[in-house]
Amino acid sequence: MNKMIQAIIAGVVVIAAIAFFVVNNLSNNSATTEASGPVEVQWWHAMGGSLGETVNAMAEEFNASQSDFIVTPIFKGSYEETITAGISAFRSGEAPHIIQIFDAGAATIINAKGAAKSVEDIMTENGYDFDITDYIQGVRYFYADANDKMIGMPFNSSTPVLYYNKAILDEAGVTPPKTWEEFEMTAEKLKAQGHIALSQSHTPWIFFENFHSRHNLQIADKDNGFSGLPTELMYNNPELTMHFEHVKEWKDKGYYGYYGKAWGDNQNAFVAQDVAMWIGSSGSFGGLKQSAQFDFGTTYLPYWNSVNSNPGTTFIGGAALFAMAGHTDAEYKAVAAFFDYLTKAETQYFWHEQTGYVPITNAAYELAKKDGYYAANPDAEVGIQQLSLHGSEWTKGYRMGFYVQTRESIYREMDRLMAGETTVADMLKAIETDGNRNLERFAETVK
Amino acid sequence: MNRSHWLDHTILWVGILFLLTPVWLLIASSTHSTQTILQEGLQFLPGSEGFAAYKTALTKATGFTDTATGYRMLLNSTIMGLGFAIGKILISMMAAYALVYFRIPFAGFLFWIIFSTLLLPLEVRIVPSYDVVSQLGLLNSYTGLIVPLIASATATFYFQQFYKTIPNELLEAAQLDNAGPFRFFFDILVPLSRTMIAAMFIIMFVVGWNQYLWPIMMTTEESYYTIIMGIKNILSVIRESRVPDFNVAFALVVLSLVPPVAVVIIFQRWFIQGLVESEK
Amino acid sequence: MSNKRVQFSHSAIPYLFIAPQMLIILIFFIWPALQAFYLSFMLEDPWGLSREFVGLRNYLYLFKSSEYLSTFLFTIFYSAMVAGLSLGLALVLAVKANAVIRFQSTYRVLLTWVYAVAPAVAGITAYFIFNRHIGVMYDLLLSMGWDFSPETNAFDATALLILVSVWKQVPVNFVFFLAGLQGISKAVREAAALDCASPSRRFWTITFPLLAPTTFFLLVINLTYAFFETFGLIDTLTRGAPGGATTTLVYKVYQDGFLGADLGLSSAQSVVLMALVLSLTFFQFRFIERKVHY
Repeated sequence: MNKMIQAIIAGVVVIAAIAFFVVNNLSNNSATTEASGPVEVQWWHAMGGSLGETVNAMAEEFNASQSDFIVTPIFKGSYEETITAGISAFRSGEAPHIIQIFDAGAATIINAKGAAKSVEDIMTENGYDFDITDYIQGVRYFYADANDKMIGMPFNSSTPVLYYNKAILDEAGVTPPKTWEEFEMTAEKLKAQGHIALSQSHTPWIFFENFHSRHNLQIADKDNGFSGLPTELMYNNPELTMHFEHVKEWKDKGYYGYYGKAWGDNQNAFVAQDVAMWIGSSGSFGGLKQSAQFDFGTTYLPYWNSVNSNPGTTFIGGAALFAMAGHTDAEYKAVAAFFDYLTKAETQYFWHEQTGYVPITNAAYELAKKDGYYAANPDAEVGIQQLSLHGSEWTKGYRMGFYVQTRESIYREMDRLMAGETTVADMLKAIETDGNRNLERFAETVK
Repeated sequence: MNRSHWLDHTILWVGILFLLTPVWLLIASSTHSTQTILQEGLQFLPGSEGFAAYKTALTKATGFTDTATGYRMLLNSTIMGLGFAIGKILISMMAAYALVYFRIPFAGFLFWIIFSTLLLPLEVRIVPSYDVVSQLGLLNSYTGLIVPLIASATATFYFQQFYKTIPNELLEAAQLDNAGPFRFFFDILVPLSRTMIAAMFIIMFVVGWNQYLWPIMMTTEESYYTIIMGIKNILSVIRESRVPDFNVAFALVVLSLVPPVAVVIIFQRWFIQGLVESEK
Repeated sequence: MSNKRVQFSHSAIPYLFIAPQMLIILIFFIWPALQAFYLSFMLEDPWGLSREFVGLRNYLYLFKSSEYLSTFLFTIFYSAMVAGLSLGLALVLAVKANAVIRFQSTYRVLLTWVYAVAPAVAGITAYFIFNRHIGVMYDLLLSMGWDFSPETNAFDATALLILVSVWKQVPVNFVFFLAGLQGISKAVREAAALDCASPSRRFWTITFPLLAPTTFFLLVINLTYAFFETFGLIDTLTRGAPGGATTTLVYKVYQDGFLGADLGLSSAQSVVLMALVLSLTFFQFRFIERKVHY
């Protein structure tokens, strides 16, 4: 009898434990499906720090402006961590509604049939007008598919520009260099004054991808990956070899300071006035305004006159917002409404002014001009002006599979080059090998 | 003799300072203003700001939903530590009991299944583990945070070893007494294991509290963030060249290490026992 | 397996007791582990929309990659350094703590608390202390002529990583050594004191051999620690940089599979690691078997 009671007690305990887990799950699931009030959508992003605060402010404004939809932005870490989290979530049917994906991840999501729903479709299906030509020239096709259909909505768009410390340059009696040839002379004068001339924050983006765009050089076969799956990475070329031979020389001569692969470490060198100039993102403008205790200016990304005497536009960097597949119509309606809000000229202008990212629509650019923003802040216009330079054959963008890993190889080899552990030839050879293998592996996964 | 003792103490104090100084630097610096830290670097002596940074760290929310405050993150870490420790001890004790005190077919096979969990830490099978947990709908839940970590069977072995050292006479006496397996377990074995349970608890609490990668993957809702995730977010901010409030960041780091360290210091005896036992 | 002479012989009850553990292991361990094994023979797109059997190609890719080889070598080097240094340091401290009579328990507390500090927290603490702009250690090293830059210098990064890993691991080793020393009976020590005049000879001829089992056992613990538990440390401190010089095998699984979204490749790495741990465990068992005969 006693034994029976004990068995019953034990049974009850076990059942209670199982019930706890089940209930825990159910309550979890029901929380997401039982939306009877406003439709909630999740927006995963990679905007930390003050950028994150601006993102939150925009979401709050949107939520307050109407009562049908609620957008919840969630900071998921770096760009890499955000796309990774999105991939994991998608695989298990838990994808967010909107995800911010950076330039290097564009191929990953655009080539995957059925991962994202085209922004163009979402807008038109939900009764919004969509015209791709509303977007400024430079951002229009970077996140579009092979048929020029926009898949991801450009959001925080930026391009590499050169920032310079006005006082230090004045002191050395130099102006910010337009070309790399000019830079060598500038750097020598700065060095005479005891300054390191330059640092730069994103080797793959600035010295590889945009080097090719600015000089109108091809990056990969199949039209940089726009007309098919590329299999050949073309970084191992004479122009880039020449460039890195110089970079290495600048490093050795004390013209160029290399502070590792982290974005912040190189930017900090500029903020701390360890270097006189820094190449970063036009989107760094807002942050620099807060952190730099000195007057700084902005100008175009330098180019080699010997490579191309008529240099053109750079690639749009930053990231786009993708609507992920597998959600309900009501939720896409909310996504469309939010995208519509984000592309409004006023919203774009606010974002542009707060952060330094370029306005993505012509209307927003016009609004900023009309408002006299650039008259008061001429430096804030440099990014968008650079993006409005003439485009050429190889300035549309690039689309390469597993490119996030290729960028890792670039970072790795740059570290080694700067530490004197490898040569320029070996560096580009290693990057080519890794990159081609990534392209090949990726091409096999695309069905 | 005296001189060598003097030397012994010196060497010990060098070791202690080696361990203590880094954390002390953060504690002292957290009582300075961010401005001081930026201009003069980390500080060895306490500053004038007192514990203001701690108040900010505890109450200021970091995300959009205003839920990820220091309090909330500490609470989640506590739940994580307690849930992991309690869950693991409960389940291990029961499993070890079945293995030692019962004649079951395929006991060897079961033992090897349990044993195999020691071969593959979570970090290594993280992506498939995430898949499984999300298919079960356990993302953003304490269950999902805790239960997959319990799968590793270290504690089972420990309890198994411990039960084996308990004299057979106890069971014989219990059987003469007509005590069934449940009564034997709850009335005799559990009380006998008391100090062992305490020892395991300390170790497991620390392990659960200190989890890093798993909570980061598992949680997308800010209300489930743990304090260790808060630490990671500080770094993300710094790496993008945004200057954080250093004093608040230091305060958060100190807050993240005080509870487990306090547990280890207060329950020193059990901690040592737990450590020695659990790694045997 | 079970060596109790007396046992219960119920048919259903033991299963009730073992069921929760088995269930959790099956769902959260066996299932994912089998999946990792299966995926290691597949090439899959990041989103899980298509997958294709590629046989051993993922493994061949790994073994042909010079990066993987250098990661492998770094892991061995790093583990050996961490184990060696933290064992040595802990042994010195334990011997001294065992020798002093006063304040022994205070010393023990002050030398063990670091165990409770999370690897990620240790990482960020070191990050601040060695930071170029606010770190005191950076300033100190600079004044000695060492421009410490773990961001660009592989040696500095490795040194920093090892230092912090040792810092974190000393307490564990200390606890075990102290327990081992206190287990050496008074009679043995008194006999030794009569035999060998010098304390250092006494240590090397009597005490150290008696500690050998503990040391061997700790070696395995330390290697496991350096292999797996330093993940949070690496991710907060160096993230494998510069030039991949501080990437361990576990960190590479994370980089390729998690950040790089190449599931097949990272699964193959998981399987390789599994084999490594298996051999380490085998080594440990062989040793424990030997220990029984002491």
